[in-house]
Amino acid sequence: MTDKLIYLWPEVTLFITTCLVMVLGLSPQAEVRRLCAWVSAVGLTVAAGLAANGEPDPNALLPNIMPFAKVVIAAVGLLLLMLLAGTVDREYEADIESGKTKFNPLRSNRAEFYSFFLFSLTGLMLCASAESLIWLFLALELTSLPTYIMVIISTRGAKSQEAGVKYFFLGALGAAFFLFGFSLIFGGTGATHFDDIADSIAANGINPILTLGLLISMIGLSFKIAAVPMHFYTADVYQGAASPVSAMLAFVPKTAGFIAIITICAAVGWNYGPNHTSLPEGLRLVLWITAALTMTVGNMLALRQRSVKRILAYSSIAHSGYMLVGVIAGPGPVGGSFTSNGLAAVLFYLLCYGFMNVGTFAVLASLKHADGSEADDIDDIRGLCSTHPLLGWSMVLCALSLLGMPPLLGFVGKLGLFTSAISAGEYAIVIVLGLNSAIAAVYYLRLIVTPYLDKPAEQDVLRVEKVGIITRPMVAVISAASVIGLVLVAQPLIEASSRAGVATRHGDVHAVEQAAALRDDINEPRP
Amino acid sequence: MLDLAPIAMTLAADSPAAVASAPAWVMLIPAMPMIGVVLCTLMSIMGVRSKLPAFVTVACLAVSFLLTVFMFTGHSEGWATAVGWEWLHYSWGDGNGQNFTANFAFAVDGLTILWMLFVTGLATLIALYASEYMATDVGQGYNRFFIAFNLFVFSMACLVMGSNLLMLYLGWEGVGLCSYLLIGYYYKKPEAVAAAKKAFIVNRIGDVGLALGVYLAFVHFGTIEYTELFASEKLQGYLHDAAEGHWSHIPWQASAIPLFLMVGAFGKSAQLPLYVWLPDAMEGPTPVSALIHAATMVTAGVYLIARTYPLFQVSEIALPIVAWVGTLTALLAATIGMAQFDIKRIMAYSTVSQLGYMFAGLGVMTSVGAGFHVLTHAFFKALLFLACGAVMHGFAGQLDLRKLSGLWKVPGWRIVTIGMFVGCLNLAGFPLTAGFFSKDMILAEAFVTPGFALIGWILLFTAGLTAYYTFRVFFRVFVGPVEYHAGDDHHGDDHAHDDSHGDDHDAGHGFHPHAPGWAINFVLATLAVCSIVAAGLYFIGDHGWVAGMIHDSTAHIDPHGDEAGGSHGSAALFGLDPHKAMYYISSVVGIVGIIFAYAFHLHGRKSAGEAPAADAFKAALGPIPRWAENKWYVDELYQFLFRGPLLVLSHIFRYVDMLLVDGLVNLMGWLPYAVGGRLRRGQDGVLQSYAASMAGGLALFLLVILLLVNQSA
Amino acid sequence: MDGCIATTLGAGDPGAYLPIFLMIMGAIGFACINVVGTLILGPRRKGETKGIPYESGMTPVQSARKRFNVRFYLIAMVFLVFDVEVVFLYPWAATFSNLEPQSEQAFTWLVRIMFFLLTTVVAYLYGFRKGVFKFD
Repeated sequence: MTDKLIYLWPEVTLFITTCLVMVLGLSPQAEVRRLCAWVSAVGLTVAAGLAANGEPDPNALLPNIMPFAKVVIAAVGLLLLMLLAGTVDREYEADIESGKTKFNPLRSNRAEFYSFFLFSLTGLMLCASAESLIWLFLALELTSLPTYIMVIISTRGAKSQEAGVKYFFLGALGAAFFLFGFSLIFGGTGATHFDDIADSIAANGINPILTLGLLISMIGLSFKIAAVPMHFYTADVYQGAASPVSAMLAFVPKTAGFIAIITICAAVGWNYGPNHTSLPEGLRLVLWITAALTMTVGNMLALRQRSVKRILAYSSIAHSGYMLVGVIAGPGPVGGSFTSNGLAAVLFYLLCYGFMNVGTFAVLASLKHADGSEADDIDDIRGLCSTHPLLGWSMVLCALSLLGMPPLLGFVGKLGLFTSAISAGEYAIVIVLGLNSAIAAVYYLRLIVTPYLDKPAEQDVLRVEKVGIITRPMVAVISAASVIGLVLVAQPLIEASSRAGVATRHGDVHAVEQAAALRDDINEPRP
Repeated sequence: MLDLAPIAMTLAADSPAAVASAPAWVMLIPAMPMIGVVLCTLMSIMGVRSKLPAFVTVACLAVSFLLTVFMFTGHSEGWATAVGWEWLHYSWGDGNGQNFTANFAFAVDGLTILWMLFVTGLATLIALYASEYMATDVGQGYNRFFIAFNLFVFSMACLVMGSNLLMLYLGWEGVGLCSYLLIGYYYKKPEAVAAAKKAFIVNRIGDVGLALGVYLAFVHFGTIEYTELFASEKLQGYLHDAAEGHWSHIPWQASAIPLFLMVGAFGKSAQLPLYVWLPDAMEGPTPVSALIHAATMVTAGVYLIARTYPLFQVSEIALPIVAWVGTLTALLAATIGMAQFDIKRIMAYSTVSQLGYMFAGLGVMTSVGAGFHVLTHAFFKALLFLACGAVMHGFAGQLDLRKLSGLWKVPGWRIVTIGMFVGCLNLAGFPLTAGFFSKDMILAEAFVTPGFALIGWILLFTAGLTAYYTFRVFFRVFVGPVEYHAGDDHHGDDHAHDDSHGDDHDAGHGFHPHAPGWAINFVLATLAVCSIVAAGLYFIGDHGWVAGMIHDSTAHIDPHGDEAGGSHGSAALFGLDPHKAMYYISSVVGIVGIIFAYAFHLHGRKSAGEAPAADAFKAALGPIPRWAENKWYVDELYQFLFRGPLLVLSHIFRYVDMLLVDGLVNLMGWLPYAVGGRLRRGQDGVLQSYAASMAGGLALFLLVILLLVNQSA
Repeated sequence: MDGCIATTLGAGDPGAYLPIFLMIMGAIGFACINVVGTLILGPRRKGETKGIPYESGMTPVQSARKRFNVRFYLIAMVFLVFDVEVVFLYPWAATFSNLEPQSEQAFTWLVRIMFFLLTTVVAYLYGFRKGVFKFD
């Protein structure tokens, strides 16, 4: 336990930063309050540095996932921080400065906003470090609970409150599902540590209780990644929250969910099926159906939307479906490459998705109507390339990348998912994935065409203007630049993700065969 | 110690073409249009409102063309490569097939040079033409047009010059995107937007095929770098097997590659069943139709097959499929073209039809014939489109051949008419024109290749149809009594140039056509000369200049021997050398087609609108001409087969969503209500229903999976 | 350690869960019988006295629908923080005395509880800054 601490310094750093921000944000001096974002940024940077120098844990099921996942989390986290900056208390602080009101800590939300964001990231990093089911559950909840409140305080409107409450209740239900699933996994294997679960499975094989537990946990976790059948909340909540928070919701819980799914699947191992390369049939099937339905439903629902945020929400659902394909494919042959390692593809795609997704939301977050309401309708981004060229082109690039257009980042990410599934022999899901990518083109095209080809709105009422927060357009531009730029330096990233996707128990075919032989011996004497 | 044996073996097994390194300035050929993109974007940002972007574009492309000419003169034999930078390099081991390399690099051989010469040359000329044609849009639209135009040339250069299949794919998607942007240039016209979308989506279907093909090629051969791929021992072994007829020795993975690549080629080059986007693509500005949708981009499919010809030869069925698809497309498009009235659309269908010829040529193993036809077609079809564009430009968007007649006699339209005439002669395959020679190569080869005689007959018949519909346009629009009606739009934009040619829109006499200026006339004249001169290429060298270029490339055909025009060994047609025999036969067919056109559309025609002979003949055919005019209802069929279900599905999902919200709320709301609780009060119905559908989903999933697992167990 | 549990429980054998299943069934059955039983057996009277809220036998003085100061809840939460702290501190204190003095293990235990106390201190500070303890 104490040995594990050496892997947890990024989390500890973030936690201490969180405590600091929580107290600083309530300071009566405006200058001190303003430090919140800077302190958070410093904390994240230090955490990223610590994570980058982190050692792989040879005892873990996925020895290299921690450094990679934590660096990705901290990097995208920094981007999100820039985007989130200035979301809450802008008018309130302005009023205080002009002397209209006095500072009242009960009305201020700044401390909570930043510290909860950091809490959530801490939870996310803890997910990557998790070594037992209980740890994983607590980390998942630490990731999610702060986001509920962030949704509520992100705007002053009733809509975000409704969204937050909805998110909270449904999140609690989802958590109940996977907690129940975890308890059945414990029931089926008698262990909570992933190591012991893997040992138990290797020794005793899969039993019905365990299968049931795995199925229910996967379905429960599909709430976190916004996959069918737990996807219902997504569009409502994304639309209700302020755009920066929606961007965060599309990345943080999704990453937590995928890390959890990968960890649990790694404990079970991809040692089943005719060639000992796939998950046990029940687990494979639930992921397969979820993936296929999620992509299809997400894309179909997006086709008819006018609200950009809803389009992005449904696209987020669809992308979860794409990534599940990588989980189904598994880590591939021992010593395999990026093109055959589905887990590496998922981890890499999470990074890609983080940038593309934050970019699109950042464009929305940078715009507002004259009356202060958020830009959301597809008409709001009409002709953006001519009115706000940087924002417009960022939108076009990020949407092209989401579409998977080569040579952008999204293409490289999707390539891994395709190739790993093909090399795992999962042809059917690859066809579903291919068809869905083609369908998705229809609505991404609208996000590309509307800013590029359409004329900006004529009436003043409909016209959008820039929000006066400089960091938000910066985030859009940085994301758009990364979408192009990261492709040029993709090799080290791909190498890192390929290392991160290596599962130790996976090559353990021998143990599984032994266990199977043992079972046959026991079963044979019976008539 | 270094183990030199494998290297020595590779060298021994290597094709005679060794890999040389090309001079670094070769990279400037694609770089020049990219510079054009940057400059035009800057001008767009600065809000330039003049013709400056056009001249910058022309200058950039002209430099690119000159460099291509230098590349041609400086090229000896075999591959020459130039590496831009290491683009993608992933490795996971030291063995073969354990690393994936796709550099941003260019490889030059005969095929590349052939394609680049006409791509950059035509792009320069057409940019010059567009400088005048697009003049009414000067300002943001003009800049936007030239940005996309330059980007297109850059993508096309990547496609053609790339040294690996991934570069080809990059260019492939790039040209698709530019095509989409340029078709949708008049974004205020709903038809243009719909056409752009259609083009993009249909092309995506093909792209999936191409992507899978590239992937399979990598998986099977361990490389996608041309120089390594085509020299690999594996492929050479298969080719050897194929030449000896041991088809069963070739693994199915290898013979599946061309089938996937083919789908990509059919999409980009508008072949059955994916041809539907090209005729609609004519909604774009005419220079775009001429450059992208007639001369260059649509020949990318031909290029792909020619480039990967060795891969196609290891499959027993790939080339016959290509031949048949090409032939049937040629026939179908020609029949549709005969019944259209919009002259630009007729040209579009003729493009589809001529592309069919090229595919048929590739399919019957005359890559030289196909390559030569690509070249001649590029010139004369660009010429025809630009002439049509000049008409459209001058007559305010009028394209209906029933409303124009006798332009020859209208002042200022001589050069356009002559250009059109030269183009028509070429397209109709009139004896001794370039189009005549290139088409004959394909036809003769079809007749002498065993098993393809039927293709030869169909193509010959189609040649007659082609001659007919080509001259139908010429006889209706350019000669005969003088009559014209102005069209009702001005290239779809709102900068009306009414001032220049009066306010009278409706009738012949008050309306003054806007005769083409020097840029359009210069380009048309140049292209007309090129089209005529291209015939001369046939007589250069042993079997024509193109044969020399193709022989120095991957499209070179080994087993078949000497296919370019000389002796065919025992093969003979009607007791003559097949090419000589074909000269006479196709001359007759072409001239008969032209005579029919004359009889129906010029002889005895008193006004633009009516052609008594043609109408009488049409009436005799019953409903068939109407079906042809409606394109045999293929669009409607596709709508029914694909778009309909997709829309229905998206509706269904929406309703499922609504039902889950409303229906399940009610259902679940009933339960506590029935138990007698007042708990329901104060609860958010929507939230409840979401939760209910989540729980329901869980239950459903468990049920389905447990059932399925139990069944399989 | 977990392996031992696995063998004793007979992990994964659905038969081992029969008692739990019976227990759950019994609980659900008991609840249902009670609800249905009162519906069937219980007397039904309506009236003003029946409708008034139950306040431990006292007559309610005013409406229960009254707005509380938000600090009421905040204080409840701060109380919860200290409550949880004590819940953790008791077992810790009971075990700590058994550890070998001056050992590395004891030091680790000390660091852990200090870290835990730090979090409660932060919670306290947060509450203080938020103005929970100000009554005015």
